[in-house]
Amino acid sequence: MIGRRVGVRAASEPAVLADGHALGNAMLRQLFIGQCLILALHLAWLPLWLIALAAAVAGYRYLQLRGRLPRAGIALRLVAVAGLLAALWLEYGTLYGMQGLIGLLVGVYLLKLLETHDRRDARVVVLIGMVATASAFLHDQGIPMAVGALLVLAWQVQSLVWLAGAGSAARAWRETAWLLGLSAPLMVVLFVSVPRLGPLWAMPQLDRASTGLTDEIAPGDIAALSLSDARAFRARFTGREPKVAERYWRVYTLTNFDGVRWSRVTPQGLSATLTRPLEDFMREGRRSPWQEENGPSRFSAELLLEPDSRPWRPSLGTPLTTDSRQRYLADGTLEGDAPLSSRTLLTVESSGQAPAHADPAGTAFHAMLPPRGNSRTRELAERLWRESDGEARGYLERVLARFGEAPFRYTLSPPRLTSGDRVDEFLFESRAGYCTHYASAAAVMARAVGIPARIVAGFLGGERHPDGHFTVRDYDAHAWVEVWIEGGWQRLDPTAAIAPERIEQGPQAVRDGRERFLADAPFSPLHLRNLGWANPLRLVWERLEYRWQRGVIGYQRGARGELLARLAEGWQAVRAWLVDVTSGRGVGSPLVGFLALAASAVAVAWLGKRMWHRWRRDHDERVQLLALQAWLERRGLESMPGESPASHLRRLAPYAGAAGPALEECALHAERLLYAPLREAERRQRRRHLAMRVAEVRRRLRGRRA
Amino acid sequence: MVLSETRAETHAESHGGADAAPGWRQRLRRRLFRRLTAPMARPLPQRRLFLLPTRFGLGWMVLVVVLLLFGINYQNSLAYGLAFWLFALGVVGLLRGWRNLLGVQMTLRLPREVFAGGEARLGVILEANRSRSALEVHAASVSACVDLTAGRGETVLALSAPRRGRQRLPMLRLQSRWPLGLVRVVAWLETAEALWVYPQPLEHKTKPHRQAGLGREEGDFAGLRRAVPGDSPTRLAWKQWSRTGVLAAKTFHVPPRRQLWLDYDACQGDPERRLSVLCARVLAHHRDGDRFGLRLPGITVPQGEGASQRRAALDALARFPPSTAARQGSPT
Repeated sequence: MIGRRVGVRAASEPAVLADGHALGNAMLRQLFIGQCLILALHLAWLPLWLIALAAAVAGYRYLQLRGRLPRAGIALRLVAVAGLLAALWLEYGTLYGMQGLIGLLVGVYLLKLLETHDRRDARVVVLIGMVATASAFLHDQGIPMAVGALLVLAWQVQSLVWLAGAGSAARAWRETAWLLGLSAPLMVVLFVSVPRLGPLWAMPQLDRASTGLTDEIAPGDIAALSLSDARAFRARFTGREPKVAERYWRVYTLTNFDGVRWSRVTPQGLSATLTRPLEDFMREGRRSPWQEENGPSRFSAELLLEPDSRPWRPSLGTPLTTDSRQRYLADGTLEGDAPLSSRTLLTVESSGQAPAHADPAGTAFHAMLPPRGNSRTRELAERLWRESDGEARGYLERVLARFGEAPFRYTLSPPRLTSGDRVDEFLFESRAGYCTHYASAAAVMARAVGIPARIVAGFLGGERHPDGHFTVRDYDAHAWVEVWIEGGWQRLDPTAAIAPERIEQGPQAVRDGRERFLADAPFSPLHLRNLGWANPLRLVWERLEYRWQRGVIGYQRGARGELLARLAEGWQAVRAWLVDVTSGRGVGSPLVGFLALAASAVAVAWLGKRMWHRWRRDHDERVQLLALQAWLERRGLESMPGESPASHLRRLAPYAGAAGPALEECALHAERLLYAPLREAERRQRRRHLAMRVAEVRRRLRGRRA
Repeated sequence: MVLSETRAETHAESHGGADAAPGWRQRLRRRLFRRLTAPMARPLPQRRLFLLPTRFGLGWMVLVVVLLLFGINYQNSLAYGLAFWLFALGVVGLLRGWRNLLGVQMTLRLPREVFAGGEARLGVILEANRSRSALEVHAASVSACVDLTAGRGETVLALSAPRRGRQRLPMLRLQSRWPLGLVRVVAWLETAEALWVYPQPLEHKTKPHRQAGLGREEGDFAGLRRAVPGDSPTRLAWKQWSRTGVLAAKTFHVPPRRQLWLDYDACQGDPERRLSVLCARVLAHHRDGDRFGLRLPGITVPQGEGASQRRAALDALARFPPSTAARQGSPT
């Protein structure tokens, strides 16, 4: 049995196999290059020592094939896997995390090369490689990843073609191109038309670094605000776009102040503290249960959210309706069911303003301050309150006016605040800070005289692209204050008083911030903003990326329905137009009819000519030979007087280089066809071969002359 | 040795000759396959091509399902895309594999002569209207791989020929896993042609029955024949060539050394052994240029010499019915 198996293999294996059943060096190299490509897809997210692993495995196989090392036995393979597990455990501290699992998959894929000996093993390696490629999509789904995956796919398919017995690299690549080219349209059709399902069961998710927004702020804790250019989300508006000063994206409200830090109280926390049902503070649905829809101004934004470790969803002002079920919180913010593991589209209609409804937690809850501390601030607040005759609006104006006075300045790297009375320290000593310092101080001042106030954490601004979408980045994070006066929440942005240019032009506009801006990200493409020629390129790339993310990555249930509806609409329109035109009623129908006639006449003529040539070729070898001789004559290789076509071609063959064998064959076919009594089947076949050889002669001679 | 199906067929089959199927199972298989087989020397028709998934193909399907689940559970569009692309690749690969085999035409070149115990080198010629890749030809337990560059390819299958007599050619399987190895496209081809296997020559352990050289001188000039490559230059008829332009070689009459009869009854042992001995003697006498005849029970090959005589004698030995051999040769 074994002998037979070997015998069969020896006879049937393609050239890539060096001997009976072992894979040849060329095939192993091929597989190794595939592994390197897949590793490259992962490398930005996985530990770099995987490169060393790949190199070690390849080195072992190299030496083993040179005969300097034995085959990797079971012991060595087990040790290698154990080593991989240990290294991953050291790297991540756990093996169950998603990063660890992906690392394990990639590592095992690399190690598999150790025990890849025959064709079956090689195919298994390719299959595992496909899974490893798909797992790279968990990291990122951008254009570079897609292009990389396309390269990987092409390479793997080419490996399979080699394994199936391709004779040469040219043959393998040509077949690969055919396969990919023919399957691509089918893939597109399937991608567009196959219905999308929701997740069937819960899978382990990647741990996402959280973006710049926090649900707790302690002014002065850190000296410098970390400015990251990471994208938080992108938005496209249908209908009116918000003006610059209207782009306040609300995300969280911070209501609890302990004297040093402001923190968020979750609906669950509220319901536990106040012993009231959770529905009082949070309800799920597609429209806001707290506020009627007909607000004063509405914005409809389609958000493309980046994955994040927390389920926050931004909204421009108070959210009113969404296109999918979300949690509507009583403080006028939105929350999702779960954190996003990949980019997701969400359409939100919102009021653009602070909520008009009262918070069910009550006004007293929003006016709480610690009983002691920040005494100088309280004194100042009482003095200002008296000066404004107990009138809330006037009082708040006075507070803001005070911030606008000279000693206060806006800076992104303020001195650290260390004392227990941070607000005092900020208001009377350092007098330098950014949005959270001012918001915190303003909220404390408001609460000190009993005005309900809370801090809103969110984003302000966003870069508008020429095609109309906005990109909001981490450095757009902002904090402001909402106060309850005159029967509604009012937005109060102290930063506007001290640094109006921050509101109007974004964080990079602040004079002091300019050198700090993006200092943390030396390689950020946003530095290109200042280079005149590069900025358009950056914008084009971002637009492309946005379209990709929105169109391809965000292609889930909603997008599918929309696209199919659009396609159906387009088809209807085309059909209607066709019916119009063919029945002779349409505007351009005579012209269209004429064009159609002309086109079909040209097509028929072309087809007829082609078929005539074919027929001539297949039925008269003399035509072919004469044509070839005439062609040769034009190139100065004419026949001598009295020379037969075959001897003419034979005479040229020794000087024709690469075309020599083809010329010889032409001559042979010509002689057989002209002089030998042949059966019709062979005659036809020879004519075909003659035609092929004639074409080859022309091709090769032409190449030679050129 | 090419012989088509002849009257000997019924004989060989009824007796269960060299090619006899070992059991009813094989016979049933043969009958079933007859409906599936494609004809030789004609382009393979599409109704005789069969697509069978390979194990790798099943693995590929599982992979597509896994990637689809991956895409669904992670709501990952690129994983969806990859799954769909792999599926599409499978479909396109299947079509291209099918197209790779469609219209291929197989013709056989039977071996000139086969002795029992040796191998029959069966030439397989594959032709098609365009290039084909990685076609495998399987017969019984041997196989070969062919690429049809420019529409033609050729290979040789070394079949084993264990027994004397008529041997049917095994059913040939033309298959290909091109281009991805996901499916095996198979066509079975059967031919009516059969091989006649000569007995295995069994050298008699007697001393050489003549001294070399004696009586081997060439005698009278016997005539001219068309020269073939390999003729000794001294034997070429140069004068004729200068006169007529036709290259000819001179032949001389070699007187036969001996005239003799090879007799079945004069040999000893069981019938097949006797036939083997006779076969070896036929070869030896032909080599020596003797004039010999062959007497078998019921068959007599008259005395003669040369290649045609050798062939006639060997044919008679190959076709000698085993039943007669058993009856005649049984020691009584």
